[in-house]
Amino acid sequence: MLKLPIDILIVDDERDFVEMLSLRLTEAGHRVRGAFDGEAGLAALAEAECDVVILDIRMPGKDGISVLKTIKNIHPVVEVILLTGHGTIDTAVEGLKSGAFDYVQKPARFEELLGKLEAARLRKAEQEERIRRAEARILMRKSGDI
Amino acid sequence: MSEAEQPRVLLVDDEADFLASLGQRLNLRGLPTLMAASGSEALAILGREPVDVVVLDVRMPGMDGIETLRRIKESHPRVEVVMLTGHADLESSIEGMRFGFFDYLTKPVQLQQLIAKIEEASRRRLGEPIEGHETFTDKLQQHMIVADRLASLGELAASIAHEINNPLAVISESAGWLRSRAARPELGEAELRGSVGLALDKIEAAVDRAARIAQNFLRFARAPDAVVREIDLRELAAEVRDLSFRGARLNNIEIEVTASPDGETSLVSDPYQLRQVLLNLVTNALQAIGRDGRVEIKVGGGPEQVSIAVIDDGPGIPDEHIERIFEPFFTTKKEGHGTGLGLAVSRGIVEKLGGRIEVESRPGAGCTFRVVLPRHRD
Repeated sequence: MLKLPIDILIVDDERDFVEMLSLRLTEAGHRVRGAFDGEAGLAALAEAECDVVILDIRMPGKDGISVLKTIKNIHPVVEVILLTGHGTIDTAVEGLKSGAFDYVQKPARFEELLGKLEAARLRKAEQEERIRRAEARILMRKSGDI
Repeated sequence: MSEAEQPRVLLVDDEADFLASLGQRLNLRGLPTLMAASGSEALAILGREPVDVVVLDVRMPGMDGIETLRRIKESHPRVEVVMLTGHADLESSIEGMRFGFFDYLTKPVQLQQLIAKIEEASRRRLGEPIEGHETFTDKLQQHMIVADRLASLGELAASIAHEINNPLAVISESAGWLRSRAARPELGEAELRGSVGLALDKIEAAVDRAARIAQNFLRFARAPDAVVREIDLRELAAEVRDLSFRGARLNNIEIEVTASPDGETSLVSDPYQLRQVLLNLVTNALQAIGRDGRVEIKVGGGPEQVSIAVIDDGPGIPDEHIERIFEPFFTTKKEGHGTGLGLAVSRGIVEKLGGRIEVESRPGAGCTFRVVLPRHRD
């Protein structure tokens, strides 16, 4: 089955990491944008939503978890995959409770990351489909009322 | 183990709240548990009640955990003891090993972990399983040595792992990207060259950064500390031999302490750091030999300087490596078997203590690491 390209936003203060992972994901056929801190990430989402955000937990300024909460608040269907280091596994669990789709440990195995990106995109697509059907039902009921 | 055969536990800790709540939870989990708030109370209880396993806090006012352990083992040698220790007390817990405790757990303790440890200890007490027992103790010994070495490097290790992972991630993505570029036949040579150049720039920058992290790490490991007292090198050597003895015997390696008959072998220095260095050198020697061989820990005295040498009859160090062995992260061990930090940290410690490490390799015949230290610090 042909995999659809995924719209990805990488948010990480490691500029070189953002750049190289972007190149690699682009090479794998996806559309990628990068942001180097939480505020810039939120600004990029406000400009145009994406399918999946890859979000570093440990960043100076607004940390990953509060960025995650803001994202889920403003853009609830956008899926978030957290990037964690050794010391931040507990934080990753907290992140899952706050609505993150999954997490990967840095340095990530690329195949694992691709798998999770694809799964996240699928969940987002299903969620959007459910919303569309619900809206259609509401519309039909309304037109039925008339 | 049936319900009736649950091990009888004695919990010893001076923190009343901790004692009461842990005691209650153990009781609820079906382990009949007695409680004592001090070492002397614990000994009194042991005198009148049957107990299988003692869970003992290392740090207590009055009679401390190590002393309590020593007395328990003296009067009730068949009782097994599990020590509870804080990170800062790891050193003294290691000392406790000489008095024969079963194992230690680091606070905060998870109940499930503690129960498992108590049951293990109780099984050993009942002599089952006989077969795994020796290896378990040996493993414990190795574990203790590693824990001991890590203790003075502190919890820094975790943050180092985290810091190192960032440049590693850059390297990993650069290499992965380059690989997928290289797999595309339609890419022109100039384009591919450009990709190679970019990826290499990123990789080199990441490597530099990782090296800087390592240097900062070492500087931290050399931070000054408080303990300085008179040490007899012969005692220290014997202690290190005792700590390494089991691992050595497993591989049929002899460890022997020798001392020059004359000359003063005491010095004023930091015993813990020095022990860490020696343990490290002996561990290296054991690993270099592999199987069947001999390690000599040789103590030399003198009016101004003392020395302690670790001499092995392993394969020696090839000439091309000898200049690099003190570099951080230089290692010839298999992945997962060494950080390449041991000698670098050891040299940092010895220099901080005012001494030096000398190495003399005899390719094919063995290797000598000699630590030379001033007897008095100014």
